[in-house]
Amino acid sequence: MITVTIDGKKIQVEEGTTILKASEKLDIKIPTLCYHPLIEPYAACRVCLVEVNLKGKTELMTSCNTKVQEGMEIQTASPRALQSRRLNVEMLLARAPAAEPVQRLARDLGIEKPRFPIKDPTEKCILCGLCVRACEQVVGACAISFIDRGIERKVMPPFGEPSEACIGCTACAHFCPTGAISYEDKYGRKVIHEELYLGPSTAIRVPIRQAVPMVPFIDEKACIHFKTGNCQLCAKVCERQAINHEMEDEIVEIEVGSIIMATGFKPFDARRIPAYGYGRLPNVITALEFEHLVNASGPTGGKILMTNGQEPKSVGIVHCVGSRDEHYNEYCSRICCMYSLKFAHLIKEKTEADIYDFYIDMRCFGKGYEEFYHRLLEEGTKFIRGRVAEITDLALTKEEEGKLIIRVEDTLLGVVRRVPVDMVILATGIEPSVDHNQIAKIFNISCSQDMFFLERHPKLAPVSSFSDGIFLAGCCQGPKDIPDTVAQAGAAAAEALALADKGVFALEPVTAEINEELCSGCQICVGLCPFNAITYDREKDISIVNDALCKGCGTCVAACPSGAAQQRHFRDKQIMAEIEGILLL
Amino acid sequence: MAVEKEKLYRIHLMVCAGTACVSNRAFEIKEALEKEIKRQGLENEVKVVTTGCNGFCERGPLMVVQPGNIFYQMLTVKEIPYLVEEHFLKGRPVKKLMYQPPEEKTPIPVLSEIQFFKKQVLVALRNRGLIDPEKIEDYIAQDGYKSLVKALTQMTPEEIIHEVTISGLRGRGGAGFPTGLKWQLVRNAPSPDGEKYIVCNGDEGDPGAYMDRSILEADPHTVIEGMLIGAKAIGATKGFIYVRNEYPLAVKRILIAIDQARDYGLLGHDILGTGFNFDIRVVRGAGAFVCGEETALIASIEGRLGEPRPRPPYPAEKGLWGKPTCINNVETWANIPVIIDRGGKWFASIGTPTSKGTKVFSLVGKINNTGLVEVPMGITLREIIYDIGGGIPGGKKFKAVQTGGPSGGCIPAEKIDLPIDYESLTEAGSMMGSGGMVVMDEDTCMVDVARYFLSFTQDESCGKCTPCREGTKAMLDILTRITEGKGTEEDLSLLEELAYTVKETSLCGLGKTAPNPVLTTLRYFRDEYITHIRDKKCPAHVCRQLNVYTIDPQICLEKGHGCDVCRRNCASEAIIGAKGEAHKIDQSKCIKCGVCYEVCNFGAVKVD
Amino acid sequence: MSNGSFEPRLVGFLCNWCSYTGADLAGTARMVYAPNIRIIRVMCSGRVDSQFVLKAFREGADGVLISGCHPGDCHYQEGNYKALRRYKLLVRMLEQLGIEKERCRLAWVSASEGARFQQIVNEFTDQIRRLGPLNFRFDGGSHEQA
Repeated sequence: MITVTIDGKKIQVEEGTTILKASEKLDIKIPTLCYHPLIEPYAACRVCLVEVNLKGKTELMTSCNTKVQEGMEIQTASPRALQSRRLNVEMLLARAPAAEPVQRLARDLGIEKPRFPIKDPTEKCILCGLCVRACEQVVGACAISFIDRGIERKVMPPFGEPSEACIGCTACAHFCPTGAISYEDKYGRKVIHEELYLGPSTAIRVPIRQAVPMVPFIDEKACIHFKTGNCQLCAKVCERQAINHEMEDEIVEIEVGSIIMATGFKPFDARRIPAYGYGRLPNVITALEFEHLVNASGPTGGKILMTNGQEPKSVGIVHCVGSRDEHYNEYCSRICCMYSLKFAHLIKEKTEADIYDFYIDMRCFGKGYEEFYHRLLEEGTKFIRGRVAEITDLALTKEEEGKLIIRVEDTLLGVVRRVPVDMVILATGIEPSVDHNQIAKIFNISCSQDMFFLERHPKLAPVSSFSDGIFLAGCCQGPKDIPDTVAQAGAAAAEALALADKGVFALEPVTAEINEELCSGCQICVGLCPFNAITYDREKDISIVNDALCKGCGTCVAACPSGAAQQRHFRDKQIMAEIEGILLL
Repeated sequence: MAVEKEKLYRIHLMVCAGTACVSNRAFEIKEALEKEIKRQGLENEVKVVTTGCNGFCERGPLMVVQPGNIFYQMLTVKEIPYLVEEHFLKGRPVKKLMYQPPEEKTPIPVLSEIQFFKKQVLVALRNRGLIDPEKIEDYIAQDGYKSLVKALTQMTPEEIIHEVTISGLRGRGGAGFPTGLKWQLVRNAPSPDGEKYIVCNGDEGDPGAYMDRSILEADPHTVIEGMLIGAKAIGATKGFIYVRNEYPLAVKRILIAIDQARDYGLLGHDILGTGFNFDIRVVRGAGAFVCGEETALIASIEGRLGEPRPRPPYPAEKGLWGKPTCINNVETWANIPVIIDRGGKWFASIGTPTSKGTKVFSLVGKINNTGLVEVPMGITLREIIYDIGGGIPGGKKFKAVQTGGPSGGCIPAEKIDLPIDYESLTEAGSMMGSGGMVVMDEDTCMVDVARYFLSFTQDESCGKCTPCREGTKAMLDILTRITEGKGTEEDLSLLEELAYTVKETSLCGLGKTAPNPVLTTLRYFRDEYITHIRDKKCPAHVCRQLNVYTIDPQICLEKGHGCDVCRRNCASEAIIGAKGEAHKIDQSKCIKCGVCYEVCNFGAVKVD
Repeated sequence: MSNGSFEPRLVGFLCNWCSYTGADLAGTARMVYAPNIRIIRVMCSGRVDSQFVLKAFREGADGVLISGCHPGDCHYQEGNYKALRRYKLLVRMLEQLGIEKERCRLAWVSASEGARFQQIVNEFTDQIRRLGPLNFRFDGGSHEQA
């Protein structure tokens, strides 16, 4: 412990404590500008200067980075310290007259107007370097730095252009004490400069407002720590110490009697159709993005806005994106027609925009659906029948300039049309989920041609899979809307419950049996059985089948050299007779 | 490695190939010499050697003939055939190419007799003009690397440090920190992985100073040897030489020297079979003055933005990549081999009680003998300026000398008997700095001098800390106002307030010393400021905006017959009058460019 | 080929889970394939005893198709691998007996591959039609007891 005197008060602090921290303990406030407790001191603003007397030598020192030494006598507001502080603040005020913390400090120090010329009355940057240091030390991205030197010094990404190293975390703006760096929230993206944005608005968030449990999580893709290994500020500020970045996925084994597969789907990636320009053209968005946009708790508060923040004057909705197309998926995704109609209705309700709906066939198959379609026809949505060929921003006429042009053959009129719109919504279809194949392998489920899980029988066993005790529900079995999904899920649950309720399980009767008399004890069958259902009885020198384990494949039967093993219902004799029978004629 | 047996020559011609002489076409002289020697069939008797800077740059291109130590100066290609024939063939030294002091009748043939060289004591520059800097054999022949052998085979690190400590050597970069103490600190500092570094600071950026450049150009091996000894003393295995990239010749020679030292096994693994490892990398500076500050220099070597950081921790504890680092200036390193060779006591016998040894100064400005001089500490300014420097040209009056580069201060004429050492210079408001010495005569305006040096530091400020970034600019604005006649008395007090605050609160040495020219000129030449402000006059007529140009009609008509030259040259058409008439200046149009004053051959244009 | 009117008689052993379902799919999708094949359902292609194939040839089949799940997809984990091993040995034996190895074929057809089943059957029928009728006849008795 070290004893120092600050403004006449003695205090004992640990070795390595800075003067600033020691003063805080005594509730003595030293003004700072370039200091932040989470970042290494920089000692650049020279506002935290204090007069230090050590062994008879008096010096001005910056309190943010100077460590206390035994016997230091510190005066935080001596005339000499105040004089220097005042002049430095006065100079900063001349540099950045709009910086609020500097204005406040100047007021406290009795500075009315700086005696130095003011270059830019709107300037806020005081060159404290907190943004640069946050980017380097906290984020680890090093995307911004000081350029030029001396009076010309400013903060910039390299060459003054949007930096590739910038990950859009906005830490710089958060650390900036004067608000000189700002960012905007657009489309749920934080936009620091136009080219740079990130998906979700924060790395720590509650997934959706209706989430259960209502607990925030860390999005690994947006979290700075998982990008650069630095930061972890959340852990530093969480008093409960509830944040653990080391946590990893774990595998939990649960024993169950039956399984309901409800692994869902993935939306078609519209990028795969380059002609539609998704990801390349601004304001071409997918259905899911539109849902996000139009959500009342979404980024725009439910307002339908383009990237420039304005309401679109015309919107095109393109059906069958990735569906009913031999290049992508041949099947109909079933849901897109109806949600597209819903979108058209919402846009009509919220904006003044003209709506163009490009469809191949309108599939309004459900209860009340056709009526809804008619309602939209009455509302004035313009339906154009034809598959959209291309979406482009290449204008041919004056009216098309600055718009997205949808090229389509209107099959009802028999002409090729160019429809200029402000915003395009792609009604993306449904595809089997990404890891569909692996799941199928794990559960031994077959897939139909479109790669959705195959039910045991389309009419007689629509929710069962080929594996006993595994049932299917929802879009993993094929594209379907919510009512159908709920119905199928109910059926699957009922099937699973029926099994559980019964308490006993009916085995298929096709299991193998071994005739004790014929068995020679060769044990060929033992090695072949994939289910370890056959054991060798040493005493009797024969092999025995465990009925409960046997699944009835019959491999052992085919291999038995003495004909002792037989499969019920598929006995050698029966099959031989079958062969004879079918070849009679 | 087998050393070829050198051929023996009758005469060696030591042609100076320092940057100053090279820009005076020294290489052309060398070629002409070689050509002529061959033509006269002397190629087996006379050998031409290119050496580093001789120091007497004012008189370049230079050549010294050995043996005999005969000094030729201001050579031209035209005179070479005559010189070769007369001196090297017929044995009659050529008088007209020798140095003749302005006030003397006869030229001085021998170098050591010349006043400029007479008072100098060469330690760091001991090999200048004696060796070819691109030949390690020459350096070894001058007892080079002898100290290294001694340090590696006969001395412990403690003994080396002890020797340096008793020598009283202080950092030659400017701050004057005792070198032995610094080495001890680095040696004692713990390193996380045992690694320690040695850095040679050659980022010489002061306007008009070129001591480091000269040493690197004239004797690169002495720096390498010094660093090797330092490395042994503190336990370092890696060294860096940070040189300005604006010194291409220095960079080239140090690179050649490092290669040669490696070939001779004096750098690299198991040096001289003692198991000691050390290697040197050359880092080229990108031209920022602030990188001469040690923490900024470290940042620059690490590849980061060259800006200083607060100390402590000092580089001796946490330097390059957080490891203990010993940073010394080029000149400091160059002194080390001599100290080890001749002992710390010998070195301490030169100089004053607090400042030992010698110091290299670059003598520039309004002085007859511009050049590089090495003098013992404690020598007076008078001796340097008048005895070595040969006084002020044109019989003008000596006004002040600016020492220590742009961060130093101006010492007025009345302090001419000031002995030069660290303490006395600091006391006078200036500093030793790296050894720049700018001499000023009566035609110099001290306000303009302060403005000039401040504009340099203002331009070179990295901009990290508020006082240096904002304060130097504010001071420069005020000084500019004063030189333009727009200054007020409040400006003067604000200037003083700023100067003290910048000096006291800046982060690094650059800011802490930047106000020195202002403070010293205010201290010694305050009346000049007052004249500028109150009378709107510049006594030295340097601040043009304060000048009033008039034409004396009598002289114009009588002597110049209204020659009209001034009118034709006036850019703002402010001069009225036709040829043959007396001309007149329309003051409302005059932009005070001073062209009329310069072009008038009859002295009719007066400035007031 | 030479005999235009020859219609081969084929026997297909199809596994219950993949190939039989695939064939079923071809049927429900009303895909037309050669009617020459007569199908016997087994639980797994691993159940197909070499004797069944020999028996089929003996009873007058001109070709035999064994079909199971794709490798890795077997409902019983590895029954189709066992079938593959057995098939490799079987065709060597068939050649020794003087039956062309092309007359016995092993094919993988999954439950979703109705079209593939159709294509395989058509191809196989064509192939056997080109080979002509199997003119090998077992001389009775001894084999049945083997």
